[in-house]
Amino acid sequence: MQIPDRTIAPLKKDIQKIVLPDVENLHLDNGIPVGLINLGTQEIIKLEIIFNAGRPFERKKLISRATGKLLKEGTKSQTAKEIAETIDFYGGTLSTPVNLDTANLTLYSLKKHYEKLLVVLADILNEPIFPQAEIDSFIQNSKHQLSIDLSKNEVIAYRKITEFIFGKNHPYGYNSDAKTYEAINRDDIVQHFQKTYTRKNCSIFISGKVDTQTIEITNKHLGNLLPAGEKMLPSFEETNNVPGLVKIEKPNKVQTAIRIGRKLFTRKHPDYKGLNILTTILGGYFGSRLMGNIREDKGYTYHIFASIDNMLHDGYLNIGTEVGNDFGNATMDEIFKELKKLREEPVEEEELKMVRNYLMGNILNALDGPFNVADVIKSLALEGLTREDFYENIQTIQNIRPSELQELANKYFDEENMWKVVVGS
Amino acid sequence: MIQYSRFELQNGLRVLIHEDVSSPMVAVNVLYNVGARDESPEKTGFAHLFEHLMFGGSKNVPDFDEHIQLAGGDSNAFTNNDVTNFYDIVPKENIETAMWLESDRMKSLDFSEKSLEVQRKVVVEEFKETCLNQPYGDVWHHIADMAYEVHPYRWPTIGKIPEHVEDATMEDVKDFFHKYYHPNNAILVVSGNIETAEAFKLVKKWFADIPSGERLKRTIPQEPPQKEIHFRNQQAKVPVDALYLAFHTPDRIDKDYYATDLLSDVLCNGKSSRLYRKLMKELKLFTSIDAYITGNIDPGLLIIEGKPAEGIKLEDAEAAIWKELELLKSELIPEVELQKYKNKVESALVFAEASILNKAINLAFFELLGDAELINEEAKFYQAINTKDIKRLANKILTRENCSELYYRAEPIDETD
Repeated sequence: MQIPDRTIAPLKKDIQKIVLPDVENLHLDNGIPVGLINLGTQEIIKLEIIFNAGRPFERKKLISRATGKLLKEGTKSQTAKEIAETIDFYGGTLSTPVNLDTANLTLYSLKKHYEKLLVVLADILNEPIFPQAEIDSFIQNSKHQLSIDLSKNEVIAYRKITEFIFGKNHPYGYNSDAKTYEAINRDDIVQHFQKTYTRKNCSIFISGKVDTQTIEITNKHLGNLLPAGEKMLPSFEETNNVPGLVKIEKPNKVQTAIRIGRKLFTRKHPDYKGLNILTTILGGYFGSRLMGNIREDKGYTYHIFASIDNMLHDGYLNIGTEVGNDFGNATMDEIFKELKKLREEPVEEEELKMVRNYLMGNILNALDGPFNVADVIKSLALEGLTREDFYENIQTIQNIRPSELQELANKYFDEENMWKVVVGS
Repeated sequence: MIQYSRFELQNGLRVLIHEDVSSPMVAVNVLYNVGARDESPEKTGFAHLFEHLMFGGSKNVPDFDEHIQLAGGDSNAFTNNDVTNFYDIVPKENIETAMWLESDRMKSLDFSEKSLEVQRKVVVEEFKETCLNQPYGDVWHHIADMAYEVHPYRWPTIGKIPEHVEDATMEDVKDFFHKYYHPNNAILVVSGNIETAEAFKLVKKWFADIPSGERLKRTIPQEPPQKEIHFRNQQAKVPVDALYLAFHTPDRIDKDYYATDLLSDVLCNGKSSRLYRKLMKELKLFTSIDAYITGNIDPGLLIIEGKPAEGIKLEDAEAAIWKELELLKSELIPEVELQKYKNKVESALVFAEASILNKAINLAFFELLGDAELINEEAKFYQAINTKDIKRLANKILTRENCSELYYRAEPIDETD
């Protein structure tokens, strides 16, 4: 038997090159742009239809969510039940996620049932009727769910921090309560649908085993759909809030939720790429400083993270954790110690090497499989980024110097500009 | 159809290799045949705590994660009632790093006092975060405790109480490692962009010299058939009432397992399913409702859970569920309804094959059940089920004497947002 020398780690090879797979761009007959990603081994297809129909385009709070969630609940020719039956019968999954900026229809389908499911999807987009009874039940069910969510400290902390950073009337900052739901009415929904679910606000991505027949079928069912409409322009109400500490007492809980954050920018900003690496060092992976210190050394928490959350028109730094009530103050101190350390001391090359390799592996893994590739390509397109940006990001990961990271820490990780929210006791 | 090769090393380690060159990555999955069902009733939550300790360093690897990250990879693990499963995903060039790391902690885990001390605290915080600080977070404690009287499924994987985790000693840790963490109690799967011969060579290199352990003799007390309904009325600080019905089901290798899964689908999988349509949308008795099976190796549970709409009493909500269950017992469901769920299963199985990690975890689990080939036969088992099977199982499973019922009542909350 061969006895390996376990005292020496096997040689690790750095990932030198990552290639972003090609996307084929074309247009449906009605002018809607389509990105095709033909990859993978399985006979499966993902179709994603994206509308500029999120919060920045609402005339009233929550209307974008209500519209998206009610799309599948009945058309002129089919009841909600019939729609659900057909989708389930063909083993499809059709979801209508509403993000902050966009409202999407996402269909996962076996290739052999793709056309059957497309027919339903086209009907949903063509003639949704938003029945009052479904709106009522959406409001009731959402209020129930909201009351459950609001009993969680981390939900309250998340709601507060985004509200403070962006403002309570800002599309990225506002929160809903029971009254916001009750104020939803059918006219708002119909109007939102008519204005935003239009050709000029739409783009499509198809990934999986895509061939010419897939394209033909898609064009046949979606190629003459929807009115042209006007391209929507987002509107934002800015806030002049001055960052500070907010404490919300919740005496009956065994853990305290902490959120720390500040306003940043979109992924287009020249500092984004470097700052994202710095944030990864701080709290973006298992070996990060916050995890190492607050979980793996002190055992205050099960999980702590730092990330940059990006929307299409803005972004923010988001640091969060839930800790035992006894550890709340100590955790807060340690987080700010870690921020200070990044401002005052350059990152050692050994640690930086680990983060470079981790991030490279992460990107490689994020390009594994057709749906993952489609997500990367979709994000670039929606955020107005190019393939060059993708490769520049990789170069930044491979080449950024400790001094550049320290400059970024001094520019963005200062304590005075951070909001701090503590929910618990 | 998933192609794979299977080997067994002389030390008893079972090895499965699956090539998928479409991926730039390789997944290395190590399943240990030990879960919460192997714990003693006084030391629950230990299998899961031990999973944390497996990342605390081994003889030649002081820091497991550092090496995974340097290799451009990622790693994690999960524990459930039956198994503890570790996995690494690395770029194909760095497969050997994962082999080195996994074999070193299988051969000689470093029993670090510091790691034990810290991970006890981390797991207690996890207990708080997932069970104590969440609305309905302790529901699984209640259900398991009601449904099982003797089988160790009567406590959840996280543990019965945090004190059990707090009291874990280094002696417990060593005993557990020597009893369960050896090659003949493990299954190794390599899946992704690697040639089978190369993978086998590496597995032999890194795992063949690890000594076998004592063959595991399990004596898990099996649950006797339940004779009468179990009922619990629980008050808690939650915003709305909730209702849970738990029924004993066949074990994982029983031929009726697949029909039981479809029975739960018929009840409430998807927006066209019976309970969703009738009770939530039509009668508006619930604001959310779901049904699923636990899928345990020993006889598990079929759960129906829902939150009654405002003003609906738990008793009335429950009665409406029973009415639907009686229908399934007295009438055959339409063929087309069963076909719908077969189609859904077909689709789910094809989608599951799109991920190298998923394939690795599933291969390991089916090998543990007795035959990795089950991964390719499942679709066939589902397709063979007929409407009479559904009716027969509804009559066998969905009875009052086989049921544990939990009324989870909201007590008024005195705090404001």
